[in-house]
Amino acid sequence: MEVFLPIAQVFVNPVEILLLSAIVGVLSGLFGVGGGFLMTPFLIFLGVPPAYAVANEANNILATSVSGSTTHYLKNTLDYKMGFMIVIGGTIGTALGIYTFTYFKGIGKIDTVISLAYMYILAIIGTLMLVESLREIDREKRNLVVKKKLHVHYWIHGLPLRMRFPKSKLYESIFTPILIGLLVGFIAAIMGIGGAFILVPAMIYIIKMPTRLVPGTSLFVTIFVSVIVTFLHSFNYGSIDLMLVLMLVIGSIIGVQIGQKLGEKIDSSGLRALLAILLLVVGIAIAYDTFFAEQIQTEITGVSNSDLNFFSTFILEFSKDMPFFYGLFSILFAVFLGVAAAFIRRFVSNFKKKILVKS
Amino acid sequence: MGVLTDQMQFSNVKIINKLQNLKATFIKTGIFLSLAAYWGVILVGTFITFN
Repeated sequence: MEVFLPIAQVFVNPVEILLLSAIVGVLSGLFGVGGGFLMTPFLIFLGVPPAYAVANEANNILATSVSGSTTHYLKNTLDYKMGFMIVIGGTIGTALGIYTFTYFKGIGKIDTVISLAYMYILAIIGTLMLVESLREIDREKRNLVVKKKLHVHYWIHGLPLRMRFPKSKLYESIFTPILIGLLVGFIAAIMGIGGAFILVPAMIYIIKMPTRLVPGTSLFVTIFVSVIVTFLHSFNYGSIDLMLVLMLVIGSIIGVQIGQKLGEKIDSSGLRALLAILLLVVGIAIAYDTFFAEQIQTEITGVSNSDLNFFSTFILEFSKDMPFFYGLFSILFAVFLGVAAAFIRRFVSNFKKKILVKS
Repeated sequence: MGVLTDQMQFSNVKIINKLQNLKATFIKTGIFLSLAAYWGVILVGTFITFN
């Protein structure tokens, strides 16, 4: 069974997409990493053109980060002030990223750039993660305890225009979060990822925020960055395919719930090395695809508009006739799905608590 | 006699420890070489693509 994606103009197997996004969701929930840097390469392997994979994954990230952020909002574990500072940088970074994207799309090299960017990011994260987890395993075997310095000061801490962030209990230069946001926004725009793998370590080790505020604030920033990325991709290139987004969101939201539940039951630190190896394998698969595999001409599907069903025709015409409103609709669609998922999760957990109290 | 058995046991433990260390060194070298080969492929591939 295959479904035709009206915007990306390719046939995909919905079961494969749902299954893969659920698996990536499980990994995200289990290891606390965003799934973007795994799901976008998987979409490319499934035949979705890279430029479309990036845009649609950004919309999927919007839905999952809205869902996660709503949960943190309800728990009051968010630093809005710090979040907005990062968002300012993120907005500038996203605009720069889209400009770069447009440049490479103009010279016809965007697919190579996306593949190379993924390959290097996966190789770097995979290598660092593998080395760190092997060190951790080695230390555990030898029962070594490493004493870490309480405060390490980098040049970034000497920047001017300091401001108080009461919730995080910090007195920090406004340029620190802005610079971090700039980097995250730039990468998010080109690669269609949330950027949590940069944001979370930066918030902990560079900004030195309390760990309990980090996941919520990171998700809060991701919402804004992915809103801008989604809108700009949709408005400039009309590359958001709501059919694909729906499949991705359903799979990843279910997967994240399963991953979080698994994470509560098992110790995932030993599995981190396996995730690192998975990242390295995906990285080398992209390298093979980019450098060595023969260029396969993408099959022209030749589906005429009259063959499309009502939903596909609606998406196609809506995106062509009203790109601005289509972009807004894509954002609202993802936000609605994300909030609905958060409330369903809360309802289910309250329901479970009631049953436990009764029994 | 007892002293000799103790000495033999002690040297056995030493040999096992050494073998374990050797195994760990082999694994570490293997991982290091694999990572080096991995990065080699990526860097050479990029270089070839852009030339």
